[in-house]
Amino acid sequence: MKTALCIAFWCFMLLLPNTLPAQQRTISGTISDDTGATVPGATIMVKGTTFKTTSNEQGKFTINAPSGEQIVVVMFLGMGTKEVKVGPNELNANISLATETRNLNEVVVVGYGTVKRSDVTGSVATLKGGDLNKTPASSVDQLLQGKIAGVQVTTGGGQPGQGATIRIRGASTLYGGKDPLVVVDGYPWGDAGNLKQINPDDIESMEVLKDASSAAIYGSRSANGVIMITTRKGRMGKPRITLTTLNTISTRAVKPDVWRNPIEEATYANEAAINAGAIASDVPYIGVSRPNGFNGFIYYPSIAELRGLDPTKPQWPTNTNWVDLVYRNPLSQSYTLSADGATEKTNYSISGNYYNEQGMVIKNGYEKYSGRLNLDQKLTTAISVGTNVVLAYTQNNGFGLGPGRSTIFPVYDTNGGYFKTSATDFGNPIALANQLLNTSKTVDFLGNIYANFKITDWLQFKSILNSKFGNSVQDLYDPINSTQRSLDNKGSFGAINNANYTDLLNENFFTINRNFGEDQKVTFLAGYSFQKSSTRLSALTGQNFVNDVLTNQNIATATTILGTNEFSPTTLASWYGRANYSLKDRYLLTLTARADGSSKFGSKNKWGYFPSGAIAWKASEESFVQSIDIISDLKFRVSYGLTGNQALGPFQTLDRFGSSKYWNGTAFVIGFGPGLAGSNDEQGNTTVGGLGNASLKWETTNQFDAGFDIGLLNQRFTLTADYYVKNTSDLLRTMSISPSAGYDFIQVNDGEISNKGFEIGLNAEVVRKSNFSWSLGANFSRNRNKVVAMGESNQIFPEGIYESVRAKITTFTVGQPLYSYYGFKTNGILQPADVASGLPDGLSVSEAQAGEIKYLDISGPEGKPDGVISEYDKTLIGNPNPDFIYSFNTKLTYKQFDFSAQMYGVEGNDVWDFQKLTPSRQLKRWTLDNPSNDFPRARNNPGYKPSDFFITDGSFLRLQNATIGYTIKPKAQKYLKNLRVFISGNNLYTFTKFNVGYDPELGENGVNNGAYPRPRAFSLGLNAGF
Amino acid sequence: MKKKKYIYGFLILSATLGSCAKLDEKPFGIINSLSFYKTAVDAEAGIIYAYTILPEVGYYGREYYLTTELPTENLTQKGDAGASNLEMDAMNPSNTNSDLDNMWRYAYRGIARANGVIVNVPGIPNMDVNTRNQIVGEGYFLRALHYFNLVRLFGEVPIRAEAIEDISQIALAKSPLKDVYDLIIADLKEADKLITKPKIGEGRAGKVAAQALLSKVYLTLASSKASGAPGYDFVTDAEAMYIEAKTYSDKVVNGQTAYGFTNKLVDVWNITLYKNASAVTEHIFDAAVDRSGDREGSFTKLPNMFMNGDRPMTIPYDPSDPLSTTINIGQGWNHFWTEAAIYNSYDSNDKRRNDLIVSKYTNSGTTYNLDINSTSRPFTRKFIDPDRIGDAQSTNSPIIRYSDILLVYAEATGPTVEGYAAVNKIRNRAGLGNLAPGLSVPAFRDAIVKERSYELTFEGHRFFDLRRTNSISKVLVQQYGKTINANYAYFFPIPLRETQSNPLIKQ
Repeated sequence: MKTALCIAFWCFMLLLPNTLPAQQRTISGTISDDTGATVPGATIMVKGTTFKTTSNEQGKFTINAPSGEQIVVVMFLGMGTKEVKVGPNELNANISLATETRNLNEVVVVGYGTVKRSDVTGSVATLKGGDLNKTPASSVDQLLQGKIAGVQVTTGGGQPGQGATIRIRGASTLYGGKDPLVVVDGYPWGDAGNLKQINPDDIESMEVLKDASSAAIYGSRSANGVIMITTRKGRMGKPRITLTTLNTISTRAVKPDVWRNPIEEATYANEAAINAGAIASDVPYIGVSRPNGFNGFIYYPSIAELRGLDPTKPQWPTNTNWVDLVYRNPLSQSYTLSADGATEKTNYSISGNYYNEQGMVIKNGYEKYSGRLNLDQKLTTAISVGTNVVLAYTQNNGFGLGPGRSTIFPVYDTNGGYFKTSATDFGNPIALANQLLNTSKTVDFLGNIYANFKITDWLQFKSILNSKFGNSVQDLYDPINSTQRSLDNKGSFGAINNANYTDLLNENFFTINRNFGEDQKVTFLAGYSFQKSSTRLSALTGQNFVNDVLTNQNIATATTILGTNEFSPTTLASWYGRANYSLKDRYLLTLTARADGSSKFGSKNKWGYFPSGAIAWKASEESFVQSIDIISDLKFRVSYGLTGNQALGPFQTLDRFGSSKYWNGTAFVIGFGPGLAGSNDEQGNTTVGGLGNASLKWETTNQFDAGFDIGLLNQRFTLTADYYVKNTSDLLRTMSISPSAGYDFIQVNDGEISNKGFEIGLNAEVVRKSNFSWSLGANFSRNRNKVVAMGESNQIFPEGIYESVRAKITTFTVGQPLYSYYGFKTNGILQPADVASGLPDGLSVSEAQAGEIKYLDISGPEGKPDGVISEYDKTLIGNPNPDFIYSFNTKLTYKQFDFSAQMYGVEGNDVWDFQKLTPSRQLKRWTLDNPSNDFPRARNNPGYKPSDFFITDGSFLRLQNATIGYTIKPKAQKYLKNLRVFISGNNLYTFTKFNVGYDPELGENGVNNGAYPRPRAFSLGLNAGF
Repeated sequence: MKKKKYIYGFLILSATLGSCAKLDEKPFGIINSLSFYKTAVDAEAGIIYAYTILPEVGYYGREYYLTTELPTENLTQKGDAGASNLEMDAMNPSNTNSDLDNMWRYAYRGIARANGVIVNVPGIPNMDVNTRNQIVGEGYFLRALHYFNLVRLFGEVPIRAEAIEDISQIALAKSPLKDVYDLIIADLKEADKLITKPKIGEGRAGKVAAQALLSKVYLTLASSKASGAPGYDFVTDAEAMYIEAKTYSDKVVNGQTAYGFTNKLVDVWNITLYKNASAVTEHIFDAAVDRSGDREGSFTKLPNMFMNGDRPMTIPYDPSDPLSTTINIGQGWNHFWTEAAIYNSYDSNDKRRNDLIVSKYTNSGTTYNLDINSTSRPFTRKFIDPDRIGDAQSTNSPIIRYSDILLVYAEATGPTVEGYAAVNKIRNRAGLGNLAPGLSVPAFRDAIVKERSYELTFEGHRFFDLRRTNSISKVLVQQYGKTINANYAYFFPIPLRETQSNPLIKQ
């Protein structure tokens, strides 16, 4: 950082204006945008003078200017302004309006309006669409990773169509939704996570509202922060037609850790069977035939035969490379064609996109068609109307598969069928990929119409009618005896799962903009909205089909037909208002409030109120700061307020009965009664709820934020830093009630969680010249998350049992961060000397052998070691929340070349690595000859205890993206106005000490169960303007 | 001004929409206390819901057998079973043991459902009195069954006898054993009075079931008192209890014809036979399931817990008959392992071992022998379904069986002619000779308990028989050399989940 500062300062010195006598000269040039397209109709001025012109249809301009170095200012609606220094002897200035995020005059989108960057009082970060990495992304969520301080984005793997998890300033709820609210062009769409309907190429800007003051205008839905997305609008001038393409080939970023040598694999398997107590004839690889359950036999070669050392048999021929069979180098494509333009009265922007992403795994892919229209028409000087429409269709095929199958057996059996070792061997991935049907299709329509009335110069009224409709259909079919699920469904399983949602929202608000004298400015907003939403689900399941011909096409032909359906309507009515007051353009005050009434809240708490306030001091406007030349911006901000999380599902406040079927000897009959089955745990046992609670309500987050923005050297060096304390109370949770009541839980509001942290975003434009620019940026976020209280319990296990350790491993523990791990402490591997000297009780016979994991006796019923390994020895053993996350980015343009790169890092998080014992490590297992202290001996069905043996540091630093582009400016401008080609690489390299063969970036709970591999993607892209 | 008109229009529009803002909600697709227990149909649905708790995985679908069979000499479990199974096997459960936790939760869920019926059905207007009485009687029967399970597992437990409507009702103290047994007896007498049909149908408790269960309750009180089993000092007169046990078991053994003795052992466990509605069977009360169900709980996977998992198996239907047809029984999970203790203690002629425990099977023409000392052990064939669909099976979990009550009758009656006749009927069917004549009362009763262990093996009776005869340590430790925690020999700890959330309960 120090270096960047020095370089910035040095460059600044070089560019200090020289004073020369005033003489006239002309400057000419071309204005282009971030894609390299020329921009007609932009306003060009010379700062401090009255010289002014606009660019012509080719984006060219010529302007008079005084001699000497000048600052040329370019302004264009929707793209902000740009200032460029033109040296005394430069006659040409080709100016790119490409994103310049730190501009103080740019407009920032906030709830129900916009505000100048310099007038922002809360913590609001902006990301321009052009700054998104160019890589295949089915949703824009994943592209936010590393872009904004205080925003953590994780993707659980690389499956096409998969969304991402977004946390703004940590997670502030136990069971409620943790996703930020997404607002697109003023319409609150819902939770972030998989925003597939928006084409990243269409995004003009994204604003992240992080503090209470900026977010509270969205009341009971704003506690997780708000992401405002603004799509592209038309620009003045002739129609612009743009084609953007991205063609990608991906490779595996990590080498799967699987068996590659059948001899090693068989040796391990035999050893594991023997160590588990198998009798001699049950040891697998000894050269015998065993029945496989299909009236046939499977021959298991002996190890000598695998080696080719058995004189009576040829060497075993099979060594199946499952990695090459299961994975591929997938191709992906994205094409966007867009047109936009504007006149004095009409502004339009229309685009269409086709997106196709192949998965790393065969037969897995994602396809999307989307379209968008933004249209705004001035009817009179006072009235304008408009519409925003988005359409999206997606289709998802296939699913993830692993390559971890035995190399000893082939893909196909001798009859050409898929090879199975037994009737219940469902592990052949090629069989699964080819036999199972798993597709889902979604259609979304989102749109609004609005009318804006300019009643007077200072008073406006806007009314918006928003609606969205979405539908999804999932088709599933598991052929006869192809999966455990088909077996569980009596042979074969077919299903059709339908979901649709509807939403209708009417917003009406007044905006007042008034100046009182020179020094006082007031903006006032007041409105009312009413929203009705619903989700409707239905599922048809067929069990036991006659044959596999029709798959799930005719569920009525199944032997057993099951149906479920669900409907969840909600109504939300809201009043909201905001007042901004500015005194002398340096003392700023913002007050915001929203009242939300929701059908989901209990009858005793129908309305929630969410006030907030912020003050800011623009010190840079004070004369004593203005006298310091180097400071171009200095602002201090403090805010405090309440935001809410609706957390509840519909009907949770009412008592609800359950139902179930009973066999009466000839048929199943239905019963109803008290106790509604909740979610099943892993063993098929249900938990029971259904007891109503009329006091249920929203969760309340009160957040304090203090921050400052500083800009130096005419905003070439900027830094924004914020410190925040977020306390969430009235946490909605399921309180355990005495099971003797017949119920396991009731929903209540109590408990508290806190998030504290700070975040820094900085940017340095090291070089800022018309044909050479270089910038460096960095983000740093540190969040400390802690459960403060959970009513009567100190520890809750929020997730189900993990089968491989038969235990729940993640906890909510008072005083600890969310998802802290719980289990035994270990100290390496038991050696013969340990066994000889006596082991604690409580271990099974198998666990009490040399070569097993050495569990530590750290406590007992009396709080001290008792010589028994028992539940008392379990303790907190890890924390999946990072100490901090950080990113670096750089951008460089030189003449027609451009280069950008981004690195993203996560530091100090633990991972629960269930893949710890991969083949490369199994080779290093404990044996008498190799008394390893790292990896235990081979043993079938080891049933390890949950312990810190599985805990690994998950820190990593990733070279996430690097892009090199070249912009061609064709001479003949008749058809092609501009062309940029670029090569982009994504997920290029990861620095980590994590398990080779796996990617350390995992879901929020940090559990590695073998995620879908994240591809390393190489893209060739093209932007062409016509 | 025109402009104003537009604005007024929009204001009116928004006001109209605003007035739609009704924020109260009605549940969609969910019945609740406001809409239920209104009609005769609701009463029937209410009692059905009370029955549906029984075949659930957390109760008679699996858990009952884990909690009552693992602690005995009958069963142990596979090596990598969960910690709670290991604890049960060693009779050393922690208060977080998930098997006991399930038994506690499922029994009380059953009680809540039964209370819903007992409290609400009597108030349903315009309902046939006999139907109403029967449904309410079944409610009493089920409540008694759950409390009988709870009191035998945990001892003192809270008595819930009303429907829970508000969170304020939840804190509740434990009641002494006497109060719990008083409730059980009162409920069963009420059931006996209200239910008139001896048999209602598969999976439902008729009058015979109520009398049978009552005889078991009295026998538990009688033998507990007589043997000095911990906690049963409150019983004043063991003999009076034996007489009551005899009275009610006599009604089952001699006073009805709806259920009866099945002469051939393997037929007792033939689901086609015992599920035949018109047949007279031993199955007085079962948790009913059918393989056409849609999930475990409406069908069962219990047989898989017992059955060997190496490969699909074919066995003769009747091993005693060399010409017997064969049946395919599939394969299981090999979760339960039969213990050598029980297996080796059968008389070598005992058909209950030779016919009802599978020790060899064939697959693809190869015969496989199961070794009691290996990891692939002989297993009971009381729980099999040759017509299984995948893992979905129709095997009912037997809760009250005629032979059980026949032995209750023998034990209650003592070494009389009737007592000997009852036990010899059981022994002769198993291919054994008569019980040695002339036994003293205690010796005879000991012999009956022993007989029960062979007749009712794996059905979840042995553990309670050991408790009520105060012989946990005598049999399990001294005879079979098992290690147990003596603190939990007679009462298991109340689950932590309960003690943590119920301020009036102290462990």
